[in-house]
Amino acid sequence: MSASLTKTADSALTRKRFQIKDKYTLFLMALPFLVLVFLFSYLPLYGWIYAFYDYQPGIPLANTDFVGLQWFTAMVSDQVQRAEMFRVLRNTFAISSLGIVTSILPVIFAILLTEVRNSKFKRIVQTLTTLPNFISWVLVYSFAFMLFSVNNGFFNHLLMSLGWISSPTNILADDNHVWLAMTLWGVWKGLGWGAIMYIAAITSIDSELYEAARVDGANRFRQIWHVTVPGIIPTYFVLLILSIANFINNGLEQFFVFANAMNMNHIEVLDLYVYNIGMGNSNFGFATAVSIMKSIVSLFLLFAANGLSKLIRGQSII
Amino acid sequence: MSRQKKWAFLVASVCLMMVFTAACNSGGAGNTGSSSSKSSTGTASTSTSDNGVITDWSKQPEMTLTVFDTLANFAGEQPGWFAKLIKDKFNIKLNIVAPNLSGGAQMIATQMASGDLGDLVVGLGGKDYENAIKSGMILDWTKDGLLDKYGKNLEKYAAQALDANKKQYGGGTAIYGIGHNVGTGDGPSEGADMTFGPMLRWDLYQKLGSPQIKTLDDYLPILKKMQEMDPKSDSGKKTYGMSLWSDWDGDWSTLAKVTAQFYGYAEGDGFNPGDMILTKADGPEYQGFLDDNSYYMQGLEFYFKANQMGLLDPDSLTQKFGDVSNKFKDGQVLFSQFPWVSNVYNTPAHTSAGKGFALVPFQDEKVYSSGFNPYGGQWIWSIGAHTKDPARVMAFLDWLFSPDGVQETSIGPKGLAWDIGKDGKPALTDFGKKATANGDTPVPAQYGGGTWKNGVSALNNATLTTSQINPNTGEPYDYNLWNSTLTANPDPVTKSWREAMGVITGKELFVKNNQVAVTKPFFNGQPAAQEPSNIKLKHSQVGKVIKEYSWKMMFAKNQDEFDQLKQQLVQKAKGLGYDDVVNWEVQQTKNTVFTMYK
Repeated sequence: MSASLTKTADSALTRKRFQIKDKYTLFLMALPFLVLVFLFSYLPLYGWIYAFYDYQPGIPLANTDFVGLQWFTAMVSDQVQRAEMFRVLRNTFAISSLGIVTSILPVIFAILLTEVRNSKFKRIVQTLTTLPNFISWVLVYSFAFMLFSVNNGFFNHLLMSLGWISSPTNILADDNHVWLAMTLWGVWKGLGWGAIMYIAAITSIDSELYEAARVDGANRFRQIWHVTVPGIIPTYFVLLILSIANFINNGLEQFFVFANAMNMNHIEVLDLYVYNIGMGNSNFGFATAVSIMKSIVSLFLLFAANGLSKLIRGQSII
Repeated sequence: MSRQKKWAFLVASVCLMMVFTAACNSGGAGNTGSSSSKSSTGTASTSTSDNGVITDWSKQPEMTLTVFDTLANFAGEQPGWFAKLIKDKFNIKLNIVAPNLSGGAQMIATQMASGDLGDLVVGLGGKDYENAIKSGMILDWTKDGLLDKYGKNLEKYAAQALDANKKQYGGGTAIYGIGHNVGTGDGPSEGADMTFGPMLRWDLYQKLGSPQIKTLDDYLPILKKMQEMDPKSDSGKKTYGMSLWSDWDGDWSTLAKVTAQFYGYAEGDGFNPGDMILTKADGPEYQGFLDDNSYYMQGLEFYFKANQMGLLDPDSLTQKFGDVSNKFKDGQVLFSQFPWVSNVYNTPAHTSAGKGFALVPFQDEKVYSSGFNPYGGQWIWSIGAHTKDPARVMAFLDWLFSPDGVQETSIGPKGLAWDIGKDGKPALTDFGKKATANGDTPVPAQYGGGTWKNGVSALNNATLTTSQINPNTGEPYDYNLWNSTLTANPDPVTKSWREAMGVITGKELFVKNNQVAVTKPFFNGQPAAQEPSNIKLKHSQVGKVIKEYSWKMMFAKNQDEFDQLKQQLVQKAKGLGYDDVVNWEVQQTKNTVFTMYK
C-alpha cells in the first residue's frame, strides 16, 4: 500500500516537474515575440510624451517647453477649428464606411473564383487581380494621370472621339464623387489580395459537405449558399471586426497622392490632415496629440465591435 | 514553482532591458551620418607648409564627405566633371544626402533628431540651424584656429558674411557657418536674365505687330490671338496661354504669388521667416496676402480671367513641374512667368526657325530683384560637428568661396568649357557652346566623362554672387555676362529681340526703363525671431486654406463663383487665425527690415 502510494506521489511529482519545465520552455519560445511586441507596440507609446511639449527636432526634450494640453485644446479651440475637425472626421468615416461596405466584394470574388473550373484561367485572373496590391500609390497616381488628364489622357480622348462628350472633363480635379472614386481605387487595388484569405477558407471546407448537399439535390447556387457562405462567414467576421478597429486609420498614401485643391474638402481624411498640419510644418506636438486621440477612438471601436459580435453571434475575438 | 516563475520573469526583464538599451544607443548620437572612411592622420610632409598647415590636399588619403544638403535635387555620389575636379584637388568624394528627394522637412527633422548632420551641411537655415547649433551638431570654425588656417579666401572675399554669422549665431565669438550668395555692389544681382519674366512667344508677338502691353491683363487678349494663330504644338496638341503646376506650392499658389514679384513685392521680407505678407523690395510697404486688392488676389484674378478665355491649361492643378516643362519643350504654352522655365523651348532647332521665347514686360511692371547681400543669404554653409577631418572640409568650403572655386563650379575646369582667349578675356570653347546649349553633350573621359548636365555640382547652393567680377579674369563669373558671350553671334530670336528692345540683356532692359525694385540687405546682428508654437499652428492651417481656395478661384465657373469663393476664403482663413499670423509677421518686419527706412 505504502509502496504504491509513494509511486503515485513520485509520478505526480515527475508530472508536475515536467509541467513546470514545459511551461518554462513555452515561455522561452514566446519570449522573443513578447519582446518584439513590447518593442514595437508598447515602447513607442513613450513617444506620446511629445504631445505635451513644443518639440523642436534636435533639441532634447529636457530643454523643450512643456505646453500641457495646449495641442489637445487647439483641436477644439474655436468654431472654425471644430468645423475643420468635423469635416476631416466626416471624410474619414465616410471613406471607411464605404470600405466596410465594399469589404463584401472580395468574398463574392473569392466564391466566384473558386467556382471557375478552368484552372489556367483561374490562375491568370487571380494573378492579375492580386498584382495591383504590390503597386505603390504613387505609381497608381501617375497611371491615373495618364488615363484621365485633360490634355493627353486616354479617357478623354476616347470619349471625345466617340463623340460622347464635346469638351474634356477633369476627373482628377472633381470634388463630387471623391469618396466613391477613392473607394473604387481601393477596391481595384485590394480585391485580389483580400480574396486570398477567403479562398483559403473555402478550400478548407470539408468536401463531404458538398457531396452531402449534392446528394440532397442542391444545385451549384444552393451549394454556395448553404455550404460555402456559412463556411467563410466566421473568417469574414474576424476580418470585419479587425477592419472596424482600423475604422479611423484609413492610411495616408492614397489620399496624399490623389489630393488637390479641388477635392481637398472631401478627400482630407484624418491621417492626411495630421500630415498636412503636423508633419508638413514640423508641428510634431500637434500631430502626436491628434494621433493619441485616434488610438483611443480605435481602441473604443474595437471593443464596441467585439462586444456587438458577442451579443449578436455569441462569438468574439477578444 | 513560484521560484521558477520569478526566475523566468527576471530573465525576461533582463532581456527586455538589454534590447531596450541597445535600441536607445543605436538611435542616439552613435549613429554616424558621416561616413568619413579614413582620417588624415599621416600627413605627408611634402604637402604641408612650415607651420603644419596642409597646402596640397591631393596627397592626402582619399575620403568621402557626407553632405547633408537641403537644397540638392540629387542624392548619392557626385558624378562627372565636378567630381573629377574636386577629386584632383582635394582627393574627396561627395556623398550627397538630399531631403528634397525623400520626405523634405520630415527628413530634416529626422536627421536633426539623430544628432549628426554629416561632414558638410548645406542650406540649413532658420530655426533648424539655430537648434543644430544649440545642440552641438555644427562645428565652430574658430576652434583650433581652423578658419585662420584654412579659410583665407573666406576671410578675404566674404569677411562681412563671416562677421554676420558670428554676431547672429555665435554670440560674437564663435562662427558656425556662412550665408549663401555673398556679394557687394549696387543694382540687381541677377545675371543676364532676371528671375522673373514675363516671357512671350516672340515670333507670334511680332507677327501681331508687337502691341503695347500696359497692364498684366493686357496679355490676355494678345495670348488669345496668339493661341488662334498657333493652335497646335509641335506634336499636334492644343496650345494654351499658360500652364501652371501645384507641386511647388507653399502656403499659397506659387504661380499666382509670382504676380507680386512682377510688382516688386515678395512673400516675407527676406529676413524674417514670415510668408503671409507681401513686402516691397525697396520700401517700408506691405500687403496681407488676402487684402482685398493684394497682388496675390490680382494674380488669382488674372488666371481666373485666363481660364474664362480658354487660355489656362486645365491640367494646371493636377500636373507636376516636369509635365509643364515638357509642354514648354513641345511648344504647347505661350506665356511663362520665368525665363528659366520657357528657355527649354529656345533650342537651336526652334530659334533657327525664328521661334522662341523672349522677355516682354508690361509697362507697369517693377520686377523684384534680390540685390547684393554682403552678409549672405539664409541658406547657410556649415560643417558638421562630428566630422573626422574638419580641416579638409574647411579647405574645400574655402575653395568654393574662392574666385577659382566659384568660376570652376559654375562653368567647369579651365580648358574644358571655357578658356582665356587671345585678348586675355574668358570665352566659351566650342565644347562649352555645345554643352551650355545642350546639357546632354558628352564630356571627355579625362574630365570625368558622362554628360555635361550630370557633372554639374549637385550642391545647388551659391557661394559668391556670380554676377560679380572675377578678379582673376576681370569679367563676371557668370558666362552669360562675359563680353565674348554677349557679343557672340546671337540666334535669330535673340537678334530680333535685341534690335526691337535696344538692349543686349533682359536685366539691361529693366534697368534702362527703371523697372526694378532691388532688395536692400538687412543686418542688425540678431537672428530672425521664430514663430511661437501657437502662431505656427495657425500659420499652417491658414496656409492650407489659402492654397486650396486659390486653385478653386482660378478655376471658378464665373465671376459670381469667384467672388463667392474669395469671400469664403477670407472668412475661413480669418476664422483659423489669419489675422494673428499676419500681425505677428508685420510686427517682426517693422522691428527689423523696416527700420532701414526710418
